[in-house]
Amino acid sequence: MNSTGKEKKEKTATGKILSVEGDLRKTIKGLLKKLLKNNTLDAVLVPMKAPETESYAWVLLEDETLLDAADPLPPVMTVQGGRALDSITKQGDVYLKIGALMRPCEIRAAVELYKLNQVKLEHIHLISIDCPGALPLKEYMDNPIKSKENFEKIVQKGDKNEALRPVCQICQHFSLLSSPSTEETKASSSPDTENHSAADLHIGFFGGNGKKLCLTASTSKGKDLLEKLELSQDDSLEYWKAAGEKIRQSALKNRESFNKEWQEKIGGIENFTTALDACINCHNCMRVCPVCYCQQCYFDSKILENSPETYLQRAQERGSLRFPLDTLLFHLGRMSHMVLSCVSCGACEDACPMSVPVSQIFSMVGDQTQKSFQYVPGTDRNVPLPLQSFLKDEFCEVEIPCECDQSLLGKA
Amino acid sequence: MAKALKINKNTEEGLLQLLEFLLDSEKVEGIFSLKKLNKNGNIAYSLITNKDELKGAVPLDPHMPVNAGKILSHFTLAEKTKRPVAAVLRPCELRAFVELIKRAQGSLENILLISLSCGGVFPIDTMNNGDAKKRSSSYAESLKKAENSPDVRKTCQSCDNFLPQLADMTVLTVGKKDADKECIIYLNTKQGENFAKDAPGNTISAEIESSETEKLKSKRKENKEKLFKDFEKTGNGISGFSRVFAACLGCHGCGEACPICYCTLCDFDSKTCEYKPESYESELEHKGGLKIPPGTLFYHLGRMSHMAVSCVACGMCSDVCPVNIPVADVFTKVGAALQDVFQYSPGKDIEEPVPSGTFKEEEFKEVGEH
Amino acid sequence: MDKDFTPTIIGFLCNWCSYTGADLAGTARMHIPPSIRIIRVMCSGRIDPLFVLRTYLKGADGVMMMGCHPGDCHYQKGNYSTRRRYVMLDTILKTLGLDEKRIGLWWVSASEAPRYEKVTNEFTESIKKMGPNPVFKEIFI
Ligand code: SF4
Ligand code: SF4
Ligand code: SF4
Ligand code: SF4
Ligand code: SF4
Ligand code: FES
Repeated sequence: MNSTGKEKKEKTATGKILSVEGDLRKTIKGLLKKLLKNNTLDAVLVPMKAPETESYAWVLLEDETLLDAADPLPPVMTVQGGRALDSITKQGDVYLKIGALMRPCEIRAAVELYKLNQVKLEHIHLISIDCPGALPLKEYMDNPIKSKENFEKIVQKGDKNEALRPVCQICQHFSLLSSPSTEETKASSSPDTENHSAADLHIGFFGGNGKKLCLTASTSKGKDLLEKLELSQDDSLEYWKAAGEKIRQSALKNRESFNKEWQEKIGGIENFTTALDACINCHNCMRVCPVCYCQQCYFDSKILENSPETYLQRAQERGSLRFPLDTLLFHLGRMSHMVLSCVSCGACEDACPMSVPVSQIFSMVGDQTQKSFQYVPGTDRNVPLPLQSFLKDEFCEVEIPCECDQSLLGKA
Repeated sequence: MAKALKINKNTEEGLLQLLEFLLDSEKVEGIFSLKKLNKNGNIAYSLITNKDELKGAVPLDPHMPVNAGKILSHFTLAEKTKRPVAAVLRPCELRAFVELIKRAQGSLENILLISLSCGGVFPIDTMNNGDAKKRSSSYAESLKKAENSPDVRKTCQSCDNFLPQLADMTVLTVGKKDADKECIIYLNTKQGENFAKDAPGNTISAEIESSETEKLKSKRKENKEKLFKDFEKTGNGISGFSRVFAACLGCHGCGEACPICYCTLCDFDSKTCEYKPESYESELEHKGGLKIPPGTLFYHLGRMSHMAVSCVACGMCSDVCPVNIPVADVFTKVGAALQDVFQYSPGKDIEEPVPSGTFKEEEFKEVGEH
Repeated sequence: MDKDFTPTIIGFLCNWCSYTGADLAGTARMHIPPSIRIIRVMCSGRIDPLFVLRTYLKGADGVMMMGCHPGDCHYQKGNYSTRRRYVMLDTILKTLGLDEKRIGLWWVSASEAPRYEKVTNEFTESIKKMGPNPVFKEIFI
């Protein structure tokens, strides 16, 4: 690898500091308000609690007074932010300068969608925020008041606790401040550092003890935002990074045991089938997954339909045939389509009516597959999707060499 | 008086004996029934062709993983089945199947329909809860007394349409006090009688409707009215309605689970329903803000306009909603109102056309003339 | 009631009767309220209920569906379907308490310019009384 990684480090070595006045959320919203007021942004996309309900939704707003009801740190992830952003730019660029305040996994999904030519980022400013994790949606919906209390404790302490969704407990990308460096990945060799980041601006608060925020910009768009925020105080990032790193190390440990556990749980076709037993093939996991963007999913198409005769034959082969059919094919097929881009956001599991551990399975498989391609989805806009590029001399070990190859190799 | 088959076994075993007989005598080639899967206690609707596999069948298990009407439609979508099969399904599933057939999504031919007087089912996500056993026994007790089991879904507790129409055979469960000892299966049609010929058991004559079924019916009617009233309190008007669906993710899982929503590509998932950039800009201008993705109410009202007149009140839509929106409360309420206006009863008569696909010249004469 | 409130009303008019009737009303210089914006459709049977719902949910204060009188449809029977669809929409909205009075259906023939004038004015007045469509400002839709 060349020196891009290093350069970047130097560039982002300091951040802007802001002290929290009273309430963390209020301070964050204050930043957005300022950007709306001084017309740096035309609109912002933020989570908001719907009036008179306990539920959250994304709201795109222009009117800054609406920000009062917004919640930049919602206890749950309802719609995956990448998906929300996708719906905004689906039919073309919206000519509004939009600031989207999202969790890192949502930002990463948006970046994957950008690479897939779905989300258009030209007028979008991606603002990521240190993520305390999210609670399981169902549990929250069943008992919102108590869940919220729980969640507040997590935000205060900044630890990854067991009340969070499983994928949050193993997440290493909860802060783009201390995200695993791209050096580990197949970073692009292009010299401009402009797009070597997920978010334009990052808001960190892990390490600030609830008293300080740390803002860093990694693109010119982000720098522009930072400038317009007129924050004067600089701080070295070392300390902030260390705070995140501590959490990350423990998450990394969790990830290792998690991978092992799931490899065992779903190893072999029988175990895999059992893990998916409860699946009713409703495809809700696919429909809420930010990366599954196809309008018409292959697995919803007519292609898998057959005649009653065929079904009876299939049943007779093993005595009985469960319906709906092709559950396994659906999950494996979906995996083959998108798991390299799986950002381990947990949206699929949250939306599963049967609480099938889909996101855990996808996250484990995703992690393993991504490692073998040295690919981390959504952290760098310039790194191409693994299946859209190849190198001539990669993965040679998967080929079974024949004799003439051997002799050729010998000659060379 | 209708004919019935009386078997001296508990109700589930009696039914299983009949199913086994049907397979054994080769009267049918396969049987659709709920069946236990491996260890987790999960069940799935399965096409059983081998007698041994019948051992795992739990045809009366109070769960509805998928509306079976949808599955039978899938089975017969390409063409009718040439070989006869039997299907055990609940009344709302049967109604759904009939509605689908009216929409050219399947065929009744060569299918023996076995339904039951229905005590309702548990919420879908309790399928693999550890307490399944406990719930089942209290469920059985309530059934015997023709009472609502407290564990069944809200939709079922207010379902007064729990006696199947169009079934060839009906298994008696509601108010069956000696369900542990005896199984009664009504033979409602010629086809039902033919299939049950030579089956082990005695033929008796009996009436399916009883004071017991009446009792449950009136209780459930009462619940239904209350459910609709309660909805009015919270869900009425644009603000109430948007509150009810405020949490909606736009996942369209409700429509996917709904047996009546059969379209391969839903209108509301198509390009025509996506917002253009200008729409965002203009809506922001006058609202100041907009829920993203937009179109929640359009989806639900639109879906309603497409199918609510055929809503069979199966409750699947509520059951699968990840954010606990009482979708079925809304759809059954609107469905009931539409069915009243068009004097239509979904799934009751296979010849009766779907109201949205037909008209009468002599109806609604006052409309448009004011 | 806001005196200055000029409602936005969208009219879906069938080409052969109602649109021609509206045209006649125009050439006869009848008084047609400025609140009406017309979308011409070939037959009232082309008015997809989703057009109406979308118009309503986008915040139009009123929606008028118009077609030939029953029996007079240029395509024989299109308007019988329209009538059912209208009854369906009306029932849905009524059941949910959603201002069903903002949506209406009228038969107006090609020669009925005075009727066109009458119904558009009446409807505009009734919408004025109801005030702006609250959906227009609703964020969570
Ligand atoms: S598969 Fe699941 S965890 Fe992975 S990106 Fe999609 S929704 Fe998120
Ligand atoms: S895993 Fe869950 S959400 Fe996905 S298809 Fe199966 S039941 Fe539906
Ligand atoms: S809705 Fe009615 S018919 Fe359907 S399962 Fe419930 S009680 Fe039975
Ligand atoms: S299932 Fe629930 S969240 Fe999904 S679209 Fe339906 S109502 Fe909305
Ligand atoms: S709308 Fe809901 S209750 Fe009605 S048929 Fe569909 S899934 Fe069943
Ligand atoms: S042509 Fe006027 S209603 Fe059909």
